[in-house]
Amino acid sequence: MAVIEEPLALPSGTTKARRPLGAFSRPRNATGLVDWLTTVDHKKIGIMYGMAAMFFFIIGGVAALLIRLQLAAPNSTILSADTYNRVFTMHGTIMVFLVVMPIGAAFANYLLPLQIGARDVAFPRINAFSFWVFLAGGLMLNSSWFLGGGANGGWFNYAPNNGAAFSPSTGIDFWNLGLFIAGIGSLSGAVNLITTVLNMRAPGMTLMRMPVFVWMTLVTQFLLLFAIPVLTAAQLLLLLDRQFGANFFNVTQGADPLLWQHLFWIFGHPEVYLMILPAFGIVSEVIPTFSRKPIFGYPFMVFSGIAIGFMGWGVWAHHMFVSGIGPLSVTAFSVATMFIAVPTGVKILNWLATMWGGKLILNTAMLFSIGLVTQFTIGGLSGVTHAVAPSDTQQTDTYYIVAHFHYVLFGGALFGFFAGLYFWWPKIFGYKLNEKIGKWNFWGMVLGFNLTFGPMHILGLQGMARRMQTYDVSMGFNLWNLVSTIGSFILGVTTLLLFVNAWKSYSEWKAAGRPNVGADPWDARTIEWSIQSPAPEHNFDVTPTVSDLDDFWHQKYAEDDEGKLRQVATGDELAQPGNGEGVHLPAPSYWPIVLAFSLPIVGYGLIYSLWFCIPGTLLTIISIYGWALEPADDLDIDDHGHGPDQEMEPAV
Amino acid sequence: MTDSITLDSTDTHGHSDHDDHAHPTEKQYWIVFVILAVITAVEIAWSYMGLEGPALVVPLIIMMVVKFLMIAGVFMHLSFDSKMPNGRTFYLCFGAAMVLAILVFLVVLAAFEFQI
Amino acid sequence: MTAIPVEDAVEVADDHGSDHHDDGHHTSLGLSNMKLAMWLFLGSECLLFGALISTYLLSKARFLTEVLAGNPEVLGTLPANLIEEFQAEGSVEPLFDIPFTSASSFILLMSSVTMVFAHQAISKNDQRNTRLWLATTAALGSVFIAGQVYEFTTFYNEGLRFDGNLLGSALYTLTGFHGVHVTVGIIMLLSLLVLAFRGKLNQDRAETLELVGLYWHFVDVVWVLIFTIVYLIP
Ligand code: HEM
Ligand SMILES: [Cu+2]
Repeated sequence: MAVIEEPLALPSGTTKARRPLGAFSRPRNATGLVDWLTTVDHKKIGIMYGMAAMFFFIIGGVAALLIRLQLAAPNSTILSADTYNRVFTMHGTIMVFLVVMPIGAAFANYLLPLQIGARDVAFPRINAFSFWVFLAGGLMLNSSWFLGGGANGGWFNYAPNNGAAFSPSTGIDFWNLGLFIAGIGSLSGAVNLITTVLNMRAPGMTLMRMPVFVWMTLVTQFLLLFAIPVLTAAQLLLLLDRQFGANFFNVTQGADPLLWQHLFWIFGHPEVYLMILPAFGIVSEVIPTFSRKPIFGYPFMVFSGIAIGFMGWGVWAHHMFVSGIGPLSVTAFSVATMFIAVPTGVKILNWLATMWGGKLILNTAMLFSIGLVTQFTIGGLSGVTHAVAPSDTQQTDTYYIVAHFHYVLFGGALFGFFAGLYFWWPKIFGYKLNEKIGKWNFWGMVLGFNLTFGPMHILGLQGMARRMQTYDVSMGFNLWNLVSTIGSFILGVTTLLLFVNAWKSYSEWKAAGRPNVGADPWDARTIEWSIQSPAPEHNFDVTPTVSDLDDFWHQKYAEDDEGKLRQVATGDELAQPGNGEGVHLPAPSYWPIVLAFSLPIVGYGLIYSLWFCIPGTLLTIISIYGWALEPADDLDIDDHGHGPDQEMEPAV
Repeated sequence: MTDSITLDSTDTHGHSDHDDHAHPTEKQYWIVFVILAVITAVEIAWSYMGLEGPALVVPLIIMMVVKFLMIAGVFMHLSFDSKMPNGRTFYLCFGAAMVLAILVFLVVLAAFEFQI
Repeated sequence: MTAIPVEDAVEVADDHGSDHHDDGHHTSLGLSNMKLAMWLFLGSECLLFGALISTYLLSKARFLTEVLAGNPEVLGTLPANLIEEFQAEGSVEPLFDIPFTSASSFILLMSSVTMVFAHQAISKNDQRNTRLWLATTAALGSVFIAGQVYEFTTFYNEGLRFDGNLLGSALYTLTGFHGVHVTVGIIMLLSLLVLAFRGKLNQDRAETLELVGLYWHFVDVVWVLIFTIVYLIP
C-alpha cells in the first residue's frame, strides 16, 4: 500500500477535503440536530431506534385503548365498524413492525458492538440507512391515518380481502408500501449485524464466549434475513395486483388466495420468534447478573436458540389449520408445532435453574425478567394448546388467540425490553432509573396486563370472536370485557410510568450535579460494563482481549487459595478510563437519510400518481451514487484530537 | 459449522482472499463454460425429444442443478474460497438459504398440488 | 505528518457501501466484511426468487386448469388461437419460442465467463483487459435485456396481457423481476467501467469488481433455474 504524507490542515486552519473520486465530502463537526441526522454511531442509532419505537408505541397504545373502550360495554358505538377495523389493524401492524421489532433493533444496535468488543458495526452507513428507512416506512404507514384512513384487513391482511375489489380505499396501499420500505431496513440491518457478529469480534471472543444476547440477536438477524424477502415477495404481488391490475389473488381468474396465507405465515412465524428472541437474550443477561450466578447451561441456551431459529421455519401452517389445507399438512404442522415448545421450554428451565440457589437481587430489571419468564410460560402453554389442531379449530379467531399472543408479545417480549431498559439505562444515559417508581411501573404493569389479557382466555373459550366491532348483551361477554378494559387502562397508565421515571430520574441526577454512576453499577458480567457510563463515543479505548465467557466477571472475581470465590477488583478499578486519543471513528454522512426518505416518495407516487415516482427514483439514484462516491472515510476529521504522528487505528 | 468459525481473530491475521490460494486459470474457466454450454444444448435437445412426465423432467432438473453448482462453485469461487480458513462460511450462509428456500417452497407447492 | 495508507483513505464504498477498508485483514474470520455481506444478501435473494418461482408455478397450474375447464372469465382474456393451442397441448409451451430464449440464455451464460475474465484481469492489474471484459459483460447483458424486451413484445402481440390472466401476471412478473436484476447489474458494470476509464479501478479495488461479479453470476444462476423451470418443463 502506498503511503502519502500530507499536512492534515492547511495553514489557514481550514481542512482540506479529501475527495478521492472527485465527488462529495462528508459532513464535519456536525452538532445538534445535524449530528443526529448524519450520525453513523451505532449507539446513537440504537437510541434513535428506541425513541422512534416509543413514539410508535404511544400511537399503537392509543389505538389499543380505543379498541378496549369500544368493547367495554355491549352494543357500544364509540367506533364505527369501519373505524374499528382500521384501528385494530393499525394497532397490530404498528405494535409488531414499528414497536417490538425496532426495540429489538435498538438493543441490538446499541449492545452488539459493545458486547463483542468492536468499535462499531461492520457497515456504519448502512446501519444509519437501516434506521432511517425503517422510520421512513413507519411514518409512511402512519400517514394513512390522515390520508383516507389506515389499513383495515388485519395485520396479516389476507387475500382476497386485501385486493382492490374488496378494499378499495388506500389504507392497504399504505400498509403494503410502508412495510415494504421498512422491510428494506430490516434486511440491510440483518446483513450488517450478521457480518458484525461473525467478523468484528474482539480477539478471543470466540462464538461460544459470546453473551447470550449476542447469540439470540444473531439468530434473530438470520430469521430476518430469510423471512423478510418472503414477505417482500408477497407484498410485490399485492402491489402489482392493486396498482397494476395483476391477477395473483384474483379468484375469478382461478387464483388461489391461500398463496397469500402461505407466503405471509412463512414470514410470519419466523417473525414471531424474531420478536421474542431479543427479549430472551436480554433476560439471559439480567437474570445471571442479579442471581449472582453464571447462566445455567450456556450451551443449551445457545443451541436452543439456534434450534428455535431452525424449527421456526417448519410450523407456519399452524396458522392455517382451518383454511382447508389437507389432513396430512395439518398433522405434520401440528406435530412440528408441539416440538418447537421443547427448545422454548429448555430456555425457561435454564432461567429457573440460574435463579435457583442464587442470591436474588429483586430490583426492577430483575422483576421484569421474572415477569417475562412467568407470563411467557403462560403464553407458551396456550400456544401448545392451539398446536393441537382439533382444539385450535375451536380457538382460532377467538379471543383465546388474542390472549395467547399478548402473553408472549406483551408479557414476554415487552417485559423483556423493559427489563433491558432498566438494566442498561445507566450504560446508555449515565444514570440509574429510580427503583421506587420502577417497582410501581412493574407491579402496575403486571396487574394491568393480567387483568387485560387473562380474561380474554375465558372470553375466547366462551366463543367471543376476535375482530368483531361489538357484541350483544345476550351473549354473556359483558363482565370480562369490562374487567379487561379496566385492566387495559391500568396497563396504559402504569406503562407510562417508564417515561415519568426517565424524566424524574434525569432531573434528580441533574440536580445532584450529574454524579458519575460508574462503569459497572450492577457488578455485571459482560464487557460492555468495562467502559465508562454513558458509553464513550469510541466505545473501547483499547480493544479488549477476551479469554472467558463472562470475561469481565472473571476479571473481577477469582478463587483464592481455599477455592473460595473472592473479589479481586471492582468494576470501576478495571474499567477503561474512556480516553479516545488516537481513535479514528467512521465519519458521518448525509446520504443514508436522503436515500431512505427518497423511497416513500416513490411509494406515494405508486399510490397517487406515477409521475411522483420520477423525482423519487431520481433522488434514489442520486443518493446511491452520492453514497458510493463520497469518501468512504474522512480522515481529515479530527475527532479526538489525536496528535498528527500517532498511528491511525483502523476503524473496524 | 461452529468449529469452522470459532477461530480467534489473531489466528487468521494477514489472510486475504487474493494471495492465499490460486484461482482457476483462464483455460479452466473456458472448459467450465464449454461444459455449461454443452449441458444447455443437451437440455434443449432433451426438451424436444417428445418425452413426458419424469423421463422429461428429472434429467432436466439434474442438468439444471449441475449447471447451478458449476456456476456457484467455479465462477463464484465457492469451491476455492471454501479452502481458505473459515471460507466455508460463504457457502454455509448461501447454502442454508438455498436449502431453506427449496424445502419451504416445495412444501407449499406440494400442499397446493396434492391438497394434502 | 501522518502516514495515511492512501488506499485506505480512498477506498470506494462501492455500490453496496462499506465504510471499511478491509479485504479480510483485521476481521474475526479473516474474511472480507463486504464479501460476507454480499453472500448474505444473495442468500436472502434466494428466498425472494423462491417465492416468485413458486408463485409462477402455482399460477400457471391454476391458469391451465381454468383454461382446460373452459372458464369463460379466463378464456375471455386470450385470443382464440392461443386458447386452442394451450388446450391441445395441455400446457403453455406453445407461447414460448425455445430457440430464441435458448440463444439469449446462452448469451447470459457467456457473460458470466467474461465477468470472470474481468476479475482475472484486474487481479493482474491488467487495465486494458479489465475494461475490455467489463464492457463485453455489460454488452452481453444488454443483449439479453434486448432479447427480453423483444420476447415481451412478442408475448404481448400474441395476446398475453399482464393484467389479463394469471399466466400473464406471473410470467411477466417473474421474468421481468429477473430482468430488473440484470439491469441493475448492467448499471453497476457500467459504473465500474467509468471508474476504470478514469483510472480509478486499480488492483486494490479488485474486490469491488469481484462483488459485482458475484451478483452477476447469481443473476445468471437464477436464469438457469428460470430457463429450465419456466421454459423447458411444460
Ligand atoms: C411455545 C411456543 C409457541 C407455540 C406452540 C405457538 C403456537 C401458536 C399457534 C398454533 C398459533 C395459531 C393460532 C390460530 O391462529 O389459530 C399461534 C398464533 C400466534 N402466535 Fe404463537 N406460539 C408460540 C409462541 C409464540 C411466540 C414466541 C410469539 C411471539 C412473540 C407468538 C405470537 C403469536 C401470534 C402473534 C399469533 C397470532 C397470529 C394471528 O392470528 O394474528 N407465539 N401461536
Ligand atoms: Cu406461529
